[in-house]
Amino acid sequence: MLGIVLRRLIYAIPIALGVSIVCFSLVYLAPGDPLQTILPADASAEAIAQIKHEYGFDRPIPVQFLYWLGHVVRGDFGVSISTRRPVVDEVMGSLANTIMLTAFAVPISFLLGYTMGAVAGCFPGTALDRIVTGGAVAGVSLPNYWVGIVLMIVFSVELMVLPATGMGANGSAQFSLFSLADLKFLVLPVVTLALVPVGILARSTRAAVAEVRGQDFVTTLRAKGLGEFAIIRHVLKNAMPPVLAVMGLQFGYLMGGSILVETVFTWPGSGFLLSKAIINRDIPVLQGAILMLAMVFVATNLVVDLLQAAIDPRIRRA
Amino acid sequence: MTLTARFARLTIAFAVAGFISHAQAAGTVTVAMTAGDIPLDTGEPDQGAEGFRFVGWNLYDALVNWDLSRSDVASDIKPGLATEWHIDPADPKRWLFTLREGVTFHDGCKFTADEVVWNLQRMNDRSTPQFFTQQFALSRAYMTLYDSVEKIDATHIAIRTTRVTSMFPYDMAYVLMISRCRAEALKYDWNAYAFAPSGTGPYRYVNMVAHERLELEPNKAYWDPARVPKQDHLVLLPMPEASTRTAAILNGQVNFVEAPAPDSIPRLKSAGMQIVTNTYPHDWVYSLNYEKGPFTDVRVRRAANYAINRDDVVELLGGYAIKGYGMVPPALPYYGHPVHYEYDPEKSKALLKEAGCLPCKVEFAISTSGSGQMQVLPMNELVKSQLEDAGFQVTFRVMDWNSLLEISRSGVPKYPELSGYNISRLLQDPITAVVKPVGRAYWSPAGSNWGHWQDPVTDKLVDQIFSEFDAAKRMALLTRLHEYEVEQAMMIYVVHDINPRALSPKLKGFVQAQSWYQDMTKISVEP
Amino acid sequence: MSELAALPDLFPAETLAETRVRGYWQSVTLRLLRDKATLIFGFLLVAILLLAIFAPLVAPFDPYKESIVGRLKPFGWRGHPLGTDELGRDLLSRLIYGARSSLMMGTVPVIIATVIGGTLGVIGGFAGRKVNTAIMRTMDVFYAFPSVLLAVAISGAMGGGMLNGILALSMVFIPAMCRIAETTTAQVRSLDFIEAARATGAGSLTIIRHHVLGNVLGPVFIYASSLVSVAILLGSGLSFLGLGVKPPEPDWGLMLSTLRQSLYVNPIICALPGAAIFVTSICFNLVSDGIRGAMDVRL
Repeated sequence: MLGIVLRRLIYAIPIALGVSIVCFSLVYLAPGDPLQTILPADASAEAIAQIKHEYGFDRPIPVQFLYWLGHVVRGDFGVSISTRRPVVDEVMGSLANTIMLTAFAVPISFLLGYTMGAVAGCFPGTALDRIVTGGAVAGVSLPNYWVGIVLMIVFSVELMVLPATGMGANGSAQFSLFSLADLKFLVLPVVTLALVPVGILARSTRAAVAEVRGQDFVTTLRAKGLGEFAIIRHVLKNAMPPVLAVMGLQFGYLMGGSILVETVFTWPGSGFLLSKAIINRDIPVLQGAILMLAMVFVATNLVVDLLQAAIDPRIRRA
Repeated sequence: MTLTARFARLTIAFAVAGFISHAQAAGTVTVAMTAGDIPLDTGEPDQGAEGFRFVGWNLYDALVNWDLSRSDVASDIKPGLATEWHIDPADPKRWLFTLREGVTFHDGCKFTADEVVWNLQRMNDRSTPQFFTQQFALSRAYMTLYDSVEKIDATHIAIRTTRVTSMFPYDMAYVLMISRCRAEALKYDWNAYAFAPSGTGPYRYVNMVAHERLELEPNKAYWDPARVPKQDHLVLLPMPEASTRTAAILNGQVNFVEAPAPDSIPRLKSAGMQIVTNTYPHDWVYSLNYEKGPFTDVRVRRAANYAINRDDVVELLGGYAIKGYGMVPPALPYYGHPVHYEYDPEKSKALLKEAGCLPCKVEFAISTSGSGQMQVLPMNELVKSQLEDAGFQVTFRVMDWNSLLEISRSGVPKYPELSGYNISRLLQDPITAVVKPVGRAYWSPAGSNWGHWQDPVTDKLVDQIFSEFDAAKRMALLTRLHEYEVEQAMMIYVVHDINPRALSPKLKGFVQAQSWYQDMTKISVEP
Repeated sequence: MSELAALPDLFPAETLAETRVRGYWQSVTLRLLRDKATLIFGFLLVAILLLAIFAPLVAPFDPYKESIVGRLKPFGWRGHPLGTDELGRDLLSRLIYGARSSLMMGTVPVIIATVIGGTLGVIGGFAGRKVNTAIMRTMDVFYAFPSVLLAVAISGAMGGGMLNGILALSMVFIPAMCRIAETTTAQVRSLDFIEAARATGAGSLTIIRHHVLGNVLGPVFIYASSLVSVAILLGSGLSFLGLGVKPPEPDWGLMLSTLRQSLYVNPIICALPGAAIFVTSICFNLVSDGIRGAMDVRL
């Protein structure tokens, strides 16, 4: 097992390096001078050269990259152009807020998706199956930001039961999971965010259940005269691991994919930070946020991988 | 809706009413601003007029303050941290200010002439430790004519201007005085200062959650007892989306909303909200490039003005606007009797043909939101279709508000390819309204003559205005200048805003001044 | 939107055959014809496609023509079947024209990704270890970004616009397509009939053309078809964020974002673009599922 852990970790290193190269290159994708936004409008040619020198933009690109990477590794992502605060503070604070959303959305979607998928998988071909399958396809076909807007209108404006925007009555800094008033701010964003993974998890559960049901041991159990209920219990237990893996991956996807939902609900997470950085062309924040989110994604994939290997010895040999 | 449905909704609403606690604490005014972020609180704010309105003049004072106490007359300046000012009789380029005595900052330090000198250096003198590039950039528009400052004694200072200017005090209303001791205690770490700002203003800083929320409380020891805030807390939330602001006031998250979308106003009214409006010196225009491109030709500029169907624009805004035919709204004393560009697409086309520009290709920079920009995207789309009906061919460069402000500060030297940009002009004083757009001294990027206008007629009038210290005669000159500017069709005039705001029925005492700025201190909150 | 999460399993070897005989395609067609749901949604999809192509003929009004007196009017107002938008433009016409940009955003990146990613994958699967490693490890890097994030990052950095949006989405899909193609190619390559072909002296190119492509195209096509709905959702999301199509072009995501301001006047009208995105995306999903079932390929 230790060997596997090491092998996967070593494998993750070049990926992490590649990810940082992509993030670094984003500056050069942007049209115009990367310093355009921070230079004073009336900057003289010498002043521009001076600032370029200070930021290291006059050095060869590979050197710039190593310089940047050196700082990043030490946790220095530079300073936000629009707020002048260290990027790492901005990103870390917002990342925690996004984790809060996903930490609720993922288990909820697993419970719901697994139940739906199990029902459909156990009664294939029935009306129930068709309803669930249809619902799952609908879940992955809906633009979730649109659903968010609709939910906001219904529950915040019409029924006035849930707040429409923001994170907590006193802002994210004082958000408390033990305050009912603050928790209500979570409901709409979490539900909206959970929509797509419910669909995905229901579909994968249905497939997994169908596959397990076709396996020999089920026939054996049935031949032994086991009751249908007990058989279903066995099937569901055996179908769980692959679905859990899908769920683990969803966590990473939602971390990166919450940008639309966060924009709709002004949730002060990493996605919202990212969309603001794009609007303000705040390249250091853009780089920092994307790098952190991608790293979280790489890390969750790694963890899921290792957990799977730990559970299922067949993978360990692969 | 059927009666039962209505009843069901009411029942649910009541059932959960006890359960809802996201309504703010008693006595709090919670404002949904249109800004995308909390304005800077380190002195000169960013985020346009909203920055001054909610942060700048709440935390700080300037030497000269705006009098925002009345809604029935155009707002004018009044003594702030200076009690009196006048021109040096011996030197028309030297202004003398007498400072208010006994004023202390929120941190307890005293306000004296040294603080004024220190603050002015902070925005102008690169050699001083307190120099702050960001503040330097943000204060440029008010420092165009500033030359130097000198301390005479503890309560008197003199400011030298680069040229004779009779209206210099208006500029000084935007130069905010921050606490020197706080900045020194924090070793000029402006990031730290942003979380511990200290001024002399009617509000004190309580706390800030970056990007989300700024909370202020009354400064009970404010030097003007009449302006000690009548509420317990003032909370500022950035909400750039109009639909989010509407949702937030309808469900009680906020109780004061800036610029609700006109489309949502009937709904807000039916929910019992107060909608307040007032005329104020606002002008939604396209500022043009006079150095390059089609608008160097006065016929093209007139053609554009004839092409605008202002009735339709006002209609789009649900009636919450006044048609714009000049540099300022007609309510201002120097409006005069300028030529009138009534909607006439045929005349417009004829002018374009005469100018040899048909189809006339133009490119404007526009923003997606912004302080005073109104319903900026639909309005621009409407104007575009109107201009195109008259023979123009319009391309937009769409950007966010701060990027547009950068274009606005940089001017045609940096963006020669633009034919113009759409902006809501903040015309608080006559200098900004009619002098800066034409003055040679204000050529961008040093000042706000964005498109580099130059003309012997305006040059002469501007000189006369600056050296005229008789108010009535100066008014006559300003009126002539305005009439000439409209005759030259300097900008594409569209509408003037009347700035609708939505207030919860529990807020009392708000007086909407005829100004971009408002006095929040008068608002009290009923339980 | 995170459909990409569902990584393809290895294709069951029994679905790969030396040549896809005519009987196979016949049975696929037969199965499809019997699958009523897929047929219905397929027809719906063809209808949407035709509407988009023939938009100028079908749309009852000019989608750019504004009328300030006729803003946000209800269904059927003065001959506007679905009412008007916030500038008084005919909503039905804008929805019809909007199908163009949504379908463009949905299909063009997938086609680009299929061509580029598919080629890279076949090369990677067929070429030696070094080339394979080079290609696949590069793809892994892009795979390390959640799809929404990568799309937003690229189009955000490049500054929005439809073209940049299409490029960004292509970048998102290339690694996925490449993996599918590589996996299938590697499987096909190890099969007996390739060895046999090689033994008869066929060159690599010939083998690829005759044997590999036929087997790889099926799974690649099915996977591509399942990506279209993801692309539509992502593309409209980009437009919603202001990173995709620019006003005044009719685009469903953009319409949703601008109509949001008028929600309190006419909520139904504001809901329509979202519904259009939903219907198109679900059609693509179901048809793709149907074809997958009929071709008996597991993804």
